[in-house]
Amino acid sequence: MPKYLCLQRSLPGGAGEKPSPNQMHEMYARFGAWQAKFKKNLVDPGGKLGHGRLVTAEPAVDGPFVELKELLGGYMIVSAGSLEEAIEVARACPGLVRSGSGVEVIEIHAP
Amino acid sequence: MSTPQLVEHFFRHEYGRLVARLSGRVGVQHIEAVEDAVQSALMTALESWTVAVLPDNPSAWLFRVAHNNLVGELRQGTRHRRILEQNAREDVATPEISVEPFHAGEVQDDLLRMLFVCCDEAIPVESQLVLALKTLCGFDVREIALRLFTSEANVYKRLGRARSRLRALPPRTDALTGEQYSSRLPAVHTILYLLFAEGYLSSHAETAIRRELCNEAIRLAAILAEHPVGRTPETSALFALMHLHAARLTARQNGSGGLLLLEEQDRDLWDRQEIQIGLEWLAKSARGDVFSRYHAEAGIAAEHCLAPSFEETRWDKVVEYYSLLEQIAPSAIHRLNRAVAVAEWKGPAAGLDVLEGFEPPTWLAASYIWPAVLADLHRRCGNAHTASRYRTVACDAAPTPAVKELLQRRLQISHPG
Repeated sequence: MPKYLCLQRSLPGGAGEKPSPNQMHEMYARFGAWQAKFKKNLVDPGGKLGHGRLVTAEPAVDGPFVELKELLGGYMIVSAGSLEEAIEVARACPGLVRSGSGVEVIEIHAP
Repeated sequence: MSTPQLVEHFFRHEYGRLVARLSGRVGVQHIEAVEDAVQSALMTALESWTVAVLPDNPSAWLFRVAHNNLVGELRQGTRHRRILEQNAREDVATPEISVEPFHAGEVQDDLLRMLFVCCDEAIPVESQLVLALKTLCGFDVREIALRLFTSEANVYKRLGRARSRLRALPPRTDALTGEQYSSRLPAVHTILYLLFAEGYLSSHAETAIRRELCNEAIRLAAILAEHPVGRTPETSALFALMHLHAARLTARQNGSGGLLLLEEQDRDLWDRQEIQIGLEWLAKSARGDVFSRYHAEAGIAAEHCLAPSFEETRWDKVVEYYSLLEQIAPSAIHRLNRAVAVAEWKGPAAGLDVLEGFEPPTWLAASYIWPAVLADLHRRCGNAHTASRYRTVACDAAPTPAVKELLQRRLQISHPG
C-alpha cells in the first residue's frame, strides 16, 4: 500500500487559540480513539520536529534560512490506498487540523 | 499502540496543581509567567504522550517541563533578573529537580495556599472567584465566561484586577502568615460557597457543566476541611451543605432537561451516600458556640434530605432555620424562603402574612422568584385574579425556557367549572 508523509504546518495568520486544559484532555482522549480506529494506517506515528541544521555541498552558504521547524510542527507516515484515504486519516486526527494549523499530505514514491 | 487512559480532568487538575506549586516557588508576582509555563508544558505533554508512551509519573514529568519553561522564561525577562539573582540558587534554577511523585500532603498544601492567595482582601470578590476558577480549577477565560454567564471581556477585566494586585505584592512576601490564614478564612468560605452556588443554582441547561462546578467546590472544600488551617465548624457546615445539595442535583431535572420542583422530585434518585457524608459533616460542625449561615443552610438541606416525602417534611424546623438565617445573614431571599416554608407548615395565608408589608429590594422584585412565590401563594389562597397577574410577571422574567416551563406548570390556575 502506498505511504503518505503528513506534515503539520502552521498557517499564515497566527497560532490560533490555545486549547484549554479541558480541551486538551478531550483531544487526548479523542486521539486515543483515532489511533485505535486507524491502527492499520499508522505506519509511523511521527512526532514533533526539533532543532536541525541545513547541510549543503557548498562550504558556506549565507542565510538566513527559514528553519523548517518554524513552519512544520510535526510529521507522521500513514499508509493508505489512495491520497483521498490518507487525507481522511489525517483530517480525522484530533488537533492536527485546527485554526492556525493544517496538514499537508504528500505521497511517497517508493521504487 | 493506543493511548492509555488518564484520570478524569487530568489536564485541568494538573494545571491547578502546577500553578499552585510553581507560584509557591517563584512567588505569585509571577503568576502570568507561571501560567504560561504550565500551559506550554501541558501542550508539550499532549504532543508527546499521544505519539510516545505515557511516562511512569505524568505529574512529575509535567512538573519538570513546566519548571524548565518557567526558568527559561524568567531568565529571559530582564524584569525578573533581580529576583532571579536573589533566589536563583535556592529556588528557581535548582538544577536537580526531584522526579519523586508529589506527596499528597504537599499538593494539598500548595492548593490551599493558592486558595488563600486568591482570597486577598485587596481583590474584589468577583475577581477572587475568577482567579480561583482560572488558577485552581484550570478553566480558561472562555470556559469561565460560559459558566458565570458573563462576557469574556468581563472575565478578562476581573482577572486583570486580581493579577495586578498579585504583581504588586512585594517579592517574597506572599508566604502567608498564620494570622492571614485565619483572617482570610471567611473569604475562602465565601468563594467556595459562590463556586458551589454557581453550579447548583445556575440555570445552565447542561447538568454536566453545573455538576462540574459543584465538584470543583467540593474538591477544594475537602482539602480545606481536612487541613489544620481550615478545620473549623464553619468549614464543616459548608462542606455538609455542599454534600446535602449535591446529593439531590441529578433529581432536579427530568429526562429532557426540564427543572423539577422539590415536591415533584423522585426521592429515590437522591444519592444516599452523599446524604450520609453530608450528615456526618453536619454532626462534626456542631461543636463550639458558632452557628454560621452555613450551619443554618446545611440544617435546612438536611431536613429536606431526611424527609420521607414533601408532605412529611418538618416544616417547623425549616422555618426555624430560615429565621436563624435571616438573623445571621439578613437577605430578602431568606425571608421569601421562610414565607414559602411557613405556607407549607401553616397554610398559604400564613405564608402571605410573612410577606405582609414587605418591600422587596429591586433585584428581587425584578427577578422571576418574587412574583412566582406571590403567584403561587395567591393561587393557593384562591385569589385567582392577583395570582394571574403575578404569574404573567414571573413568566416574563424567566431567565431560561426551562424555568419558564416550570413556572407555567406550577402556576397554572385551574378554572372552576
